[in-house]
Amino acid sequence: MTSYFWFVAKRAVLLVAVIFFGVSATFFITHLSPISPVETALGRIANQSSFSPDAIEDMRRVLTDLYGTDRPLLQQYVTFWQKLAAGDLGPSLIAFPTPAMTLVMQALPWTVALLVVSTLITFLAGNLLGALAGYFQNNMALKAFGVVAVVLQPIPYYVVAFVLLILFGFVWPVLPISGGYAMDVAPGWTLDFMWSVALHAILPAVSLVLVGFGTWFLGMRALVSNVVTEDYVTYAELAGVKRSTIMGGYVIRNAMIPQVTGLAMNIGTVFSGTIITEQVFNYPGLGSLLIDAVFGGDYALVLAVSTISITAVGIAIFIVDLLYPLIDPRVKAE
Amino acid sequence: MHRRRFLTTTAMSALSLAAGRMALAQDATAPDLARFPRDKTVIIQNPEGVIRNPGWFNIWVSGGGGQSTGLQQLVMDTLWYIDPDAGITGATENGIYNSLAAGPWQYNEDFTQMTVALREGLLWSDGKPFTSADVAFTVDLQVRTPGMIWSSTFANQVESIETPDEKTVVFRLKRPNSRFHTLFSVRWNACWIMPKHIFETVADPLTFDFNPPVGLGAYTLNSFDPNGTWFIWDKRPDWDKTALGLVGEPAPQHAIYRNNISIDNRLIEMRNGTLDMIHDLTPEGAFAIVQQDPTTQGWFPGFPYAHPDPTLIHVIFNHQSGSAMFGDKRIRWALALMLDARSMSMASYRGAATLSAIAVPPTGTHPRDYHGPLQDYLAAYEVDTGTRKVQVYDPDVGVQIADMVRQQFGDAVPTDPTALRNAFGYGWWRQDIAAAEELLTAAGCTKDGRQWMLPDGQPFRFSLMVPPDGVVNRLGTVIAQSWSQNGIEVTPEAAPDIRERLTAGDYVASVRWAVETFGGHPDLSFFLDSYHSAYVAQPGQPQAPRNLMRFSSPAQDAIIENIRKTDFNDPRSLELGHEFVKYYVDEMPIIPIMAFNVFSVQSNRYWTNWPNAEQPYANPVTNWGNSRYILTQIRAAG
Repeated sequence: MTSYFWFVAKRAVLLVAVIFFGVSATFFITHLSPISPVETALGRIANQSSFSPDAIEDMRRVLTDLYGTDRPLLQQYVTFWQKLAAGDLGPSLIAFPTPAMTLVMQALPWTVALLVVSTLITFLAGNLLGALAGYFQNNMALKAFGVVAVVLQPIPYYVVAFVLLILFGFVWPVLPISGGYAMDVAPGWTLDFMWSVALHAILPAVSLVLVGFGTWFLGMRALVSNVVTEDYVTYAELAGVKRSTIMGGYVIRNAMIPQVTGLAMNIGTVFSGTIITEQVFNYPGLGSLLIDAVFGGDYALVLAVSTISITAVGIAIFIVDLLYPLIDPRVKAE
Repeated sequence: MHRRRFLTTTAMSALSLAAGRMALAQDATAPDLARFPRDKTVIIQNPEGVIRNPGWFNIWVSGGGGQSTGLQQLVMDTLWYIDPDAGITGATENGIYNSLAAGPWQYNEDFTQMTVALREGLLWSDGKPFTSADVAFTVDLQVRTPGMIWSSTFANQVESIETPDEKTVVFRLKRPNSRFHTLFSVRWNACWIMPKHIFETVADPLTFDFNPPVGLGAYTLNSFDPNGTWFIWDKRPDWDKTALGLVGEPAPQHAIYRNNISIDNRLIEMRNGTLDMIHDLTPEGAFAIVQQDPTTQGWFPGFPYAHPDPTLIHVIFNHQSGSAMFGDKRIRWALALMLDARSMSMASYRGAATLSAIAVPPTGTHPRDYHGPLQDYLAAYEVDTGTRKVQVYDPDVGVQIADMVRQQFGDAVPTDPTALRNAFGYGWWRQDIAAAEELLTAAGCTKDGRQWMLPDGQPFRFSLMVPPDGVVNRLGTVIAQSWSQNGIEVTPEAAPDIRERLTAGDYVASVRWAVETFGGHPDLSFFLDSYHSAYVAQPGQPQAPRNLMRFSSPAQDAIIENIRKTDFNDPRSLELGHEFVKYYVDEMPIIPIMAFNVFSVQSNRYWTNWPNAEQPYANPVTNWGNSRYILTQIRAAG
């Protein structure tokens, strides 16, 4: 058990390092961006009415002072970490003076829910069906799943999303195509709200599931096809062990190990995929918040979203890492 | 077993933690949609994205709340409105509505004092009477509070405000300004009047959310989405105590503004009957919906459907960093004559462009005031190429474009000459490569093979900054192609940060807009006053809108200064506008191209009598403040 704690400690240090360097990189990238929050705000304000150039110059001065964008970069960097240590990411500049973290916490549940549900469904369905297809190689229904997976897997994500939008929003308009829940449902932990959220999440989630399914299915089918040729599987069959035991205890369990690794490596990719989903289906999550923040030159908000995302993805990978020696006893913690 | 228990415990702990952290947006009550029958409710698309701070209604502070969520259209009000189109007959004069003001502004002789008589009997939505104290307080509070949107403007201009009685306000100005009233005249917006009785009790107006808003408009807040995608407004029972009510009773009992709807979703939602007004679509999207759904309409009854905004798209030359290339007007004219209006129209708007050869957008009442009266001048206009004089204006280019699109759109394309001019513009410069080459030669340029060289021997080569997508991107690309095909090496550069770079002067040439007008009134000061040389920034310094090309000259300054001395409604103001247009034709400091056409679409399924080219009583674009007048004219479809 001591060796396992050392293993955890080493991974924890790595996690902290990943978060530190990831957040620092985001800080410098956003602050070196040519998009200025002051100019964006000025453009938003000044183009709407007949402000005189003198007044605009005054506004520029006031906004620069208010946003603190004229301070040296290193000073801003040190201040950023000091504030972050206290859990304060500063005010959002596009929604000044609302704290950036408030906006992130409003958007976070939507992305997390969408991501967790679609990833779980994709991972479980893809692997289970892939395993069955690899084990029962002559089953026609499972072969058909293979064809579907081969067809879906290379289609770009946004094409699948738009096809679903047109099919279920226009041709056969049975599902909501915009937003996270219906107007006449109050947000809260009620059945009505949950049902509405689930209904609105169907198209975004299905679009993610359809695209992700093929990758897991094909990978698992190939792995199982190899595992079933192993001597220990043949021996188990000859020994009369039940097929379900062979399947669950010997085949899937061994084939799952690289898939779990794949899941850890895939979490970041799936997260970036939700940015497009949220745009297509006007879903109120972190992806659309991030895009607004980037185009608004809102350093604070970009950093808040990125910090949360880097931390969340880092922790998810960390957890998978920790589980690895527990799933596969052959992997030693040392 | 040990491992299994560990895995189960870990998974359950993680799920509980996640559920605990998933704080939903702030408490909210949901509207009962049964209360909003479609014959009493109009549903309008607001082009804003997700409103990140939806509970923020303090429109005088940029606090992340929405503006065109219905807030500025239905709740706010100010002294005057200047319609981008003709305005409602009988309610406007020269495109101007007296809103909170009982009549037009009154200046003293040297424009250092403006007196306003206010309407009587108007009430705030909480029942308090509207008085001159509210107007004075609006200005005074902003002068005292740096960081509020109109703070700098008023601090720079207002010496003092007097309220001799409850219905009179006198502004004393620090220096003459014949256009001071435009600060209280809505084009897109203006300075809205704030309720003194609310704001005077607020300790810090910069952090006050003003939720729920109290306004002088005919609607009040019903509810809003805590996640910032919709806002519902109810008609006030005392709507007749508002300035809008004096124009007419708004027909819808409720108005729902929905934002963050992508273009594809807008089309689908209107087809499904869940949107009555779409702010804008792509040209292709608009063509598709008006052809497939007979209940929908655009601005024009047929092609090109789009509404020309009072904004002019044009080529912007940087007269500071690009002076070596564009300093000679013969070169600027040569570049103009290399362009083909037909290909620009087809590439950008698929033929649905409204062209303008002059530096005024062909929209609202400007064709009546500028484009029409100047036709003879333009037809006779000659460019001296150095070897000959050439008449360069083609009044029939709109007809040619109409013929091109008729193959696809058939009878939807008008044939009547007046309709053609309104839809496609009054003409543009004829592409004349020979004349352009003569002009370049006269300016000292030489040709090396196919490549034109500048007078200093350097290749005539530059990049043309364009937006990353949309019609202006497509327009810029075809312009760059035309110049490149004729020996000037131009590379289109798609710049996501185009606005910042235009302000910073970090470009040589671009396609964008720096000419925006009132639309329904011929006065050009809205954009032209900022063109004065006193406001041109030094190289490297940010340029205030709108003289992004950083062009100035004594002649231009003289026109601007004369406009400053002339009353807004004085016919002499229009004469000065003509003078400006002719000066810009002579100098070609920008190349005017076309109106910024907006593909606004309305559905007649539940509501009818929308504004259009045949009854242009309002701009159909949903986010402009003046769009409130539409609600007094539409009727339930029955």
